[in-house]
Amino acid sequence: MTEIHVDVWLYGRLARYAGEGAGSGYANVKLSLPAGSTMRRLLEHFGIPSEERGITFISGQLSAMPGLQPDLDHVLQDGDRVGIFDLNSMWPFQYRHGAAMTEEMRRALAEREDAGLHHTYRGA
Amino acid sequence: MWILRINMTDRSYRLEDVPEAYKYLGGRGLTSTIVHDEVPPLCHPLGPNNKLVFAPGIVTGTTAPTSARISAGGKSPLTGGIKESNAGTAWPQDLAAMHIKAIVVEGQPKEKGKWWMAHLTWDGSKPKVEFLPADEYAGKDLYEVYPKLFERFGEKVNIAGCGVAGEFGYGNAGIVYNDMARRPSRYSGRGGLGSVMASKGLKFIVTDRTGAPGVQYADQALFDEGRKKLIDALRTHDITKPKGGLNTYGTAVLINILNEAGGLPTRNFSSGRFEGAPKIAGEAIFEGNKQRLGKELYNHACSPGCIIQCSNTWHKPDGTEHTSCVEYESDWALGANCGIDSLDDIAEMVRLCNAYGLDTIETGTTLAVAMEAGIIPFGDGKKAIELVHEMGKGTPLGRILGAGTATAGRVLGVTRVPVVKGQSMPAYEPRAVKGIGITYATTPMGADHTAGYTIAPEILSVGGKADPLSPEGKAALSRAFQATTAFIDSSGHCLFIAFAILDIPSGMEGFVQECNGVLGTKWTVDDVPKIGAEILRKERAFNEAAGFTKAHDRVPEFMKYEPLPPHNQVFDVPDEALDSVFGEL
Repeated sequence: MTEIHVDVWLYGRLARYAGEGAGSGYANVKLSLPAGSTMRRLLEHFGIPSEERGITFISGQLSAMPGLQPDLDHVLQDGDRVGIFDLNSMWPFQYRHGAAMTEEMRRALAEREDAGLHHTYRGA
Repeated sequence: MWILRINMTDRSYRLEDVPEAYKYLGGRGLTSTIVHDEVPPLCHPLGPNNKLVFAPGIVTGTTAPTSARISAGGKSPLTGGIKESNAGTAWPQDLAAMHIKAIVVEGQPKEKGKWWMAHLTWDGSKPKVEFLPADEYAGKDLYEVYPKLFERFGEKVNIAGCGVAGEFGYGNAGIVYNDMARRPSRYSGRGGLGSVMASKGLKFIVTDRTGAPGVQYADQALFDEGRKKLIDALRTHDITKPKGGLNTYGTAVLINILNEAGGLPTRNFSSGRFEGAPKIAGEAIFEGNKQRLGKELYNHACSPGCIIQCSNTWHKPDGTEHTSCVEYESDWALGANCGIDSLDDIAEMVRLCNAYGLDTIETGTTLAVAMEAGIIPFGDGKKAIELVHEMGKGTPLGRILGAGTATAGRVLGVTRVPVVKGQSMPAYEPRAVKGIGITYATTPMGADHTAGYTIAPEILSVGGKADPLSPEGKAALSRAFQATTAFIDSSGHCLFIAFAILDIPSGMEGFVQECNGVLGTKWTVDDVPKIGAEILRKERAFNEAAGFTKAHDRVPEFMKYEPLPPHNQVFDVPDEALDSVFGEL
C-alpha cells in the first residue's frame, strides 16, 4: 500500500486549519497520506504548529496531552481516526485514569516520577 | 455559630450552639456527620424520621475564590443510603453570614397537601425564621415562581426550593437554588433530596442576610495569604484561568474528548462513541452562540466570587436566551445518551428540568432506558421533550420515569440499566475509563462522577508502590481520591479548584491555609486525606446500617459481559480490588 487513509477531526480553534472543511467548532477531513506517515507529517499537512495542540487521540488511544507529546514519530495506520484538540481542551486525571493510550504515551507517563498524576503537563 | 433546627411538625425553630465535635466540620463533613448521628438508617426517606441537612462549607461566605457551595444531605429516596449533594449558589453565603453552620429540617406536618416556606432573616443579634403559607407556589413552573418570590421578598434574597418533582416524591427530584441572574438553575441535583424537602411540606427557604455580621476569621492574615496563593493558581492554570478551558467551552468541552476516547456513553450505554457528539459539544455551543449572537460569548459565574466561571447559556436562533446551563453532564445525559444531536432540544429539556425541579442526569439516563424499552425511539428529541413534560405533569408514565433509572428499568423490563446503588451513572463509561468505574462502584453516594477528585501528588504515597494502572493501584487511588474529595466538599470550594491545585503546589498550600485561617486549625496538606477518610467512614457506617453490603459495591452485570464499542472492552476490575477500596480505609 502506497497511501493510507486517515479520518481527521480538528476541534475548537484548530478547525480553522482545515479551511473549507470547518464546521461549527470542529472540522472533519478524510485525508490520504503516504504510507509510513507520522503524526508530525499529519500536523505539517495542515500547518498546525504542534505547540498549538493539546489532547490528541489516535484511534481512541490518548497519544498527547498539553505539554506532553510523545506521539510525533508515531506511524499512522490505514483507517486511523485522529482527533486533535486545542489548548482549551481538558481531561482531568480522574476522568481518564485507566483509559486507553498509545504505548508511547503509557511509557512517557510511567517514566515520570509523579506517574503522570496531573491534569495538564504544561508548566507542571 | 449555630445549628438552626426547623421542625416542620409544628413549624417551630430553635438555635443551638454548635457542639464541640462539630466545630471544625463544614459542608459535606457536617451534613454526613449529622445524618450519621441523627437519622435512623432504616427510616423511610420520605417519612417523618428522615432529616434534611444543609451546611455551607468551611470558607463559604468569605472572600475565598470559587467557594459559594452548599452541601445538602439526608437519607436518599433514590439510593436508600446517605446522600450529600453539592451546589454552587449565593444561598449558603447568606447562612454563613448569619453564623449558621447548618440547618436541620426535621419532622413532618400531619396535614397533607399544605405547603410552607421559611423566611430566614437576621434579627439584630441572631437569625430569625418566619413560616409562611406557600400553597400558591405549589404545582407550578419554577421559572414563574422564582421571580414572584424575588418580587415579594426583594432582589437581595436567595432561595433554596423544590419543584413539582419534589411534590410528587420523585427519586430524581433535586433541590433548586437561584444563580446570580436569579434563574432557578443551580442544583443539589442528585439523589432525590428535593423530595425529602417536599416531604416535610417545605417548598422554599428564602434567606436575607441584611444586617448579618458576616464570617469571622480565627486568623485573617493566614486566610489572606492562602487566598492569594489559591487565586494565583486558579488564574494561571490552563483549565481554570480566564478564557481557559472551562471559561471558554464550559464543562461540555469533555463531550468531544470522551467521544474520541471511546468513553462517551451513547444510547443507554450501548456504545462509547456518538456520531452526533461534535454537534452538541462545548465547541459547538461556543460557535453556535457566536453565530446567533454575532459575538463571542464567554461563560459566567454560577455564584458570587467564582473566578473559574464555567456556567454557560444557550441562545435561540433569534439570539434570546434559551436556558442555563448546558453543562457536560446534562448535555450528555439528554443528548448522546439518548442519541439526540440537537442542542436546541437538549437545551429545552434542561430548561424543563429546571422548571420542574428534576435532576438532569437521572432524567436523561431514565429517558434512555425508556428508549431502550421502546417507549419512544432513540434520537427523537421532540418525543423526549414530551416525556419530560409527563414527569412534570405527574402522569402515570411520568411518575414511573420520575422514580429514576433503576425503577424505570425494572418497570419496563430493561436489563441494561446503568446504576450503582440505585443511582444512574454519569457521563464516563467505566468500561473505557476503568478508574472512574471503581469510584462509581464504591462511593457511598451511588454512581457519582464527583466522588473521586484528586488534589495532591502526595496522595500517590497513599497508594504505596502499586502500579497506578494495576487493579490494586487503581483501587488505592480511588480510595485516596474519594477521601480528598470529601475534604474539598467540606471546605466550601467547588471541586474544580482541584484542577489547579493538583498541578500547582502553592495553590494546594493556600487552600489548606484558607481553612486554617477561618477555623484556627493547624492542618497540613497531609491531613486532607485523613480528614476526608473520617467522613467516608461515617457515610459507610450509615449505609451498612441501612442494609448495604459489598454486593452493592458493584457495577451492573451487563458491563461485565457486554463489550463496549469501539474498544470492545468489558469492566474487568476484580471484585477483590473493589472490596479493597474501603477494606483498607
